[in-house]
Amino acid sequence: MPQNELVEGLGLDEYQYGFSDDEAHVYRTKPGLSEEVVRQISKHKEEPEWMLEFRLKALKIYESKPMPTWGGDLSHLEATLDEIYFYVKPQDQMERSWDDVPDNIKNTFERLGIPEAEQKLLAGVGAQYESEMVYHSLKEEWASQGVIFDSIEDGLKNHPDLFREHFATVIPAADNKFAALNSAVWSGGSFVYIPKGVELKTPLQAYFRVNQERMGQFERTLIIMDEGAQAHYIEGCTAPVYSTDSFHSGVIEIILKKDSRFRYTTIQNWSNNMYNLVTQRAVVNENATMEWLDGNLGSKLTMKYPSCYLVGEGAHGDIMSIAYASDGQHQDTGGKVVHVAPNTTSSITSKSVSKGHGRSSYRGLCKVYDGAHNARSNVECDALLINSTSRTDTYPYIEIEGKQATVGHEATVSKIGDTQLFYLMSRGLTKEEAMALIVRGFIEPIAKELPLEYAVELNRLIELEMEGSVG
Amino acid sequence: MSKSPQAAEAPIAEEETPSSLDESAVERISQGAPSWLSERRRHAWSVFEDTPLPSTRSEEWRYTDVSRVVDFADLRLAIDGAQSENGSRPAGLAAAMEEDLAASGHAVLVDGSVVHVDLDPALEKQGVILTSLRSAVNEHGGLLEELLATKTLPPEDGKFQALNAALWTDGVLLYVPRDVKLDLPVRVTRWLSHAGSAVFARTLIVAEPGSQVSYVEELLSEDFDQRTFVSTAVEVIAREGAQIQYASIQRLGRGVFCQAAQRTLAHRDSKLDSLNVSLGASVTRLDLNARLLGAGAHSELLGLYFGDQDQHFDHNTSQDHLAPDTGSNLLYKGALDDRAQAAFRGIIRVHSDAQRTDAYQTNRNLLLSDECRANSLPNLEIEADDVKCSHGATVGQLDPEALFYLLSRGLSREQAERLVVLGFLGDVMSRLPLGGVVEKVTHAIERKLEHV
Repeated sequence: MPQNELVEGLGLDEYQYGFSDDEAHVYRTKPGLSEEVVRQISKHKEEPEWMLEFRLKALKIYESKPMPTWGGDLSHLEATLDEIYFYVKPQDQMERSWDDVPDNIKNTFERLGIPEAEQKLLAGVGAQYESEMVYHSLKEEWASQGVIFDSIEDGLKNHPDLFREHFATVIPAADNKFAALNSAVWSGGSFVYIPKGVELKTPLQAYFRVNQERMGQFERTLIIMDEGAQAHYIEGCTAPVYSTDSFHSGVIEIILKKDSRFRYTTIQNWSNNMYNLVTQRAVVNENATMEWLDGNLGSKLTMKYPSCYLVGEGAHGDIMSIAYASDGQHQDTGGKVVHVAPNTTSSITSKSVSKGHGRSSYRGLCKVYDGAHNARSNVECDALLINSTSRTDTYPYIEIEGKQATVGHEATVSKIGDTQLFYLMSRGLTKEEAMALIVRGFIEPIAKELPLEYAVELNRLIELEMEGSVG
Repeated sequence: MSKSPQAAEAPIAEEETPSSLDESAVERISQGAPSWLSERRRHAWSVFEDTPLPSTRSEEWRYTDVSRVVDFADLRLAIDGAQSENGSRPAGLAAAMEEDLAASGHAVLVDGSVVHVDLDPALEKQGVILTSLRSAVNEHGGLLEELLATKTLPPEDGKFQALNAALWTDGVLLYVPRDVKLDLPVRVTRWLSHAGSAVFARTLIVAEPGSQVSYVEELLSEDFDQRTFVSTAVEVIAREGAQIQYASIQRLGRGVFCQAAQRTLAHRDSKLDSLNVSLGASVTRLDLNARLLGAGAHSELLGLYFGDQDQHFDHNTSQDHLAPDTGSNLLYKGALDDRAQAAFRGIIRVHSDAQRTDAYQTNRNLLLSDECRANSLPNLEIEADDVKCSHGATVGQLDPEALFYLLSRGLSREQAERLVVLGFLGDVMSRLPLGGVVEKVTHAIERKLEHV
């Protein structure tokens, strides 16, 4: 049987997080975006005047910037943006104890397995439902050492100076149209501070859930790693399947001071009606190491390019990216590394799988400024195509000033080889097992970097995807 | 070499003063031309006027701000080269022509007009055509009407393509009939003599089924202190099973903006290779599109550039696989010194019908100074699943081990560096062995290295 027919019906119809709760919220703004909406958000959050001014200025920038014409198809987005709710407040206050979270929200997160995970393996958990963090907790062990892990709103309230010193310094409102939009209407997200020399042994996790139909989620996360600190932060995202499109546009700013080390892991599994346009950037100082581990499995369109600005001598940036695009999905992902200081190093490894009518695109930048003597960067992109209708693109930008840099980029595109399949099947595997095994082997170099539970989850997902791929 | 009778009979423009690039120039050039041609020129002019100047906001022009390079209002159409040709050739032109001895035929263009053509009489007898486009308008009107500046490289391709299609003054037609094979290359030399002028020339190469031909073109000029513009449009068609090698060596002087658009069409089982060597001019922009149209077609795309001082190179290539079982392989290598800049943007597009495509693309840059700059955008767009595609790009410095080895053998640092640069660039030429080209290019690079 031809492979095309074999893999027919492999769609993401088995999206397991597609359930929804009844809509319950204490407040929401009118659909669409206006100055009034921005003022309402700021008022509900009881923000200082400077933040309202920042938001209003960002709104003007957003309005003045044209829609990007590159990347994915954004032609229907403007109409979508007129109809979505920019701010939905699910409950009156954020809870510190899981028992106090309203039942409907609690049920949602319990179905997603959050409380169990917290007990077992996390240093702290944040859960965002619609526009607000509904739950945030940090183990006492870490809190006593001065670690801050809070909602972004509480970060602004409780640590105003630390917050203001760093907020929007990595990603200014004018960075791009969607960063401007986020700056105007941001709500929810985490505020993290790891003090000098503190090494978090287990990860912090934030969980993002959109329940409301036609909802825009604009979380904003600010992470400050003080000198020598070490931490790992994981975010996961899901949403119910609705017939209308939703929109998620986050801004993640990370500051790594001297000698610190930070890993940011994303497992994005939004439903297939979600526009996911995210700006993520880390400024990496002297001898610090930033690692982005970016898994994009869900959404209708994702445009996301985690970045490392290597501004201190000896700084290192690592970007590992997995994209999985199925019918109706376009994963436009990749990474950016910008070398500003001498002896900086970076690597980007990207693996993408396109199936059915899915399209995955790698888009990346490697820039070396002339002061960055002895900068070294290596980029590798591999794409796997499952069907004749699948599509893959590679758009790397390599911009080098001066002779002191060494930069390499390589990309390959392949399909599952008949000989590979034949070999595995001759060893007694069914075709579908063989295909799942090959896909798993293909993404293994990145999957092995995931915490065990996530690696298992990812493998399960791929098995699920490959189920029914034969007859 | 004697003056060709064709060139002498070519219609000479009535006005002797150079004219601006405007609609009246289109009308003046069109005088006495067949109606299909005047209409084609007028249409191209209207496309030119309707098309905005490319800006760096567009992906394809990201690294070249053309508004700072060319000002159409300042340029004057070059004076008819046939008139300025009075027997004595500029030393640079004469020297280049001296090197071109072994050839099936020659053409010489001065300021965009063909001033000399010769062709091996035996080949002429077999039906090979090598002539100026100007005379071909009358003698091979049907062929030109079908193929020139229309479907292959239409004005709609872009602002510069439209301008060339409206204002081309002359160029070369090379036609090789079915199953005719040319052992020696056809050699074309193009000389530019007027500072501040704008030259528009075209090349049309057609190889009928089973034929074989190679074409080597060299562009030359002195240095100019005024902005000077050279526009070239090249259309190359390889029919079933034909083999074409196209090579262009650009050694124009400083002050020149050299803009070239090339499209190659490779039909079933044909082999159509190109080599573009960019050494001269202040600003060079090449748009090369290789189309693989029939099963079994294959194209090699080779490029080499070496920049010093403030030179700027922008190579924009695309490999379009439109039929199954086709192959293409691109290798562009460049070295940069002083404040030179190079941009390479290449794309492989595998269309959904083009199963079993093999397509490769490699861009390598060698940086020799602290102020030079290299940008590389090797892109892939793949819509078929049964393909073998890969691309790679590197930017790096002189290999210290190679240098060390040469130094240990007693070479001076300068000599060693030159050798490594030559070796780095040289392997491009070895992939398209064309009589005389390797020597010519090596010699030109050596001369350039001496000034480094």
